[in-house]
Amino acid sequence: MLKTIFLTALTLLIAIGGGAASVWYALNRIDGLGALSVGVWVAFPAAGTPYADPYSKARIAREAALPLGAAEGLSFIAREDTGGGKLSRNCTYRIEGRVPAARFWTIYAGDDSLDPIPQSAGRTGGLHSRQILRQNDGSFLVTISTHPSEGNWLPIAGTGAMALLMTLYDTPIASNSGVEQFELPQVLKVACDE
Amino acid sequence: MSKLFYAILLGLVGAGIVHIVILLLIPAFSERDAWSRLEKSGPTYSFVKTVTDDDTVQTIKSADPLFESAACRFDLRNGPVRILGTGTVPFWSVSVYDRRGQNLYSFNDRIATGGVLDLLIVNPAQILELRKDPPPEIVSAVIAETEIEEGVVVLRSFMPDSSWSRHVQNYINQAVCETF
Repeated sequence: MLKTIFLTALTLLIAIGGGAASVWYALNRIDGLGALSVGVWVAFPAAGTPYADPYSKARIAREAALPLGAAEGLSFIAREDTGGGKLSRNCTYRIEGRVPAARFWTIYAGDDSLDPIPQSAGRTGGLHSRQILRQNDGSFLVTISTHPSEGNWLPIAGTGAMALLMTLYDTPIASNSGVEQFELPQVLKVACDE
Repeated sequence: MSKLFYAILLGLVGAGIVHIVILLLIPAFSERDAWSRLEKSGPTYSFVKTVTDDDTVQTIKSADPLFESAACRFDLRNGPVRILGTGTVPFWSVSVYDRRGQNLYSFNDRIATGGVLDLLIVNPAQILELRKDPPPEIVSAVIAETEIEEGVVVLRSFMPDSSWSRHVQNYINQAVCETF
């Protein structure tokens, strides 16, 4: 009798506890299916559409996200540099390369949950393609650092993990993702503070 | 021993079922989704800023810091919804989401006539009614046909630098969201 109760309780514990824990883990720790990866950059073109997978739908419901539509743009997220190391706010990074066709793009640094890193007064939290300086061949170079830097400087503040979000607005990539090959800039680590 | 093994196996199968059930129920029962948060910060048929002016509270997670955005909840059972913008900004885009935050329709200023925001959201019955006798004021409107009842429309506008801040905020504040 006692044995039956124990076994029933064990079964229920595994079923309910394991089920709930695995959903929590999948939503908080795993980045999602249907990703479009270009170098270190990852985008989720299907997120927020009726074609999204159930995990993406659940995540959107929990995070109160309203992702950009296909005619608006597409966000790429980088959490690692091109060398494979996690992005950190203690380090200086250089972003260089080209961006596919778009009316304009923006880049900003976010924390772990992708919210913009708060900036000190007077600084805008991001850069966009209409304000940056370019090289002769049309490519560009952006320095991401807590220390002021010449050229295109994206200021960051604080310490800890960081993610970079590059959003292309009004871009054909958002509507025909995967059809055409395109490149996104590299994220190179320059140096780290002690 | 075999009974213990059987109980664990049954538990794991159950865990799989519970996993799927919870996953599929989250979007329907979430009280943290965009709709619920917008409901707390403003009435229907009014644009609510997605980030409050002092940058402390984010109603919905959208947050490109170079953008200003606002969301308006509507219900097509009360009739078609008209979204109107006045003035011009460097870039604006609009998305229509259903109650659960799925993007159904999006467009930007290049698609609109003369770059003016004039959107009419209708359901299939309402579009039939409008086609029978089209009112003259909707001639230039972009018409979005959806099969939803409750929904959210989000207006986003690009703010290239802080000198644009007031202009872009005015544009968002003056945007109209009303039943037609």
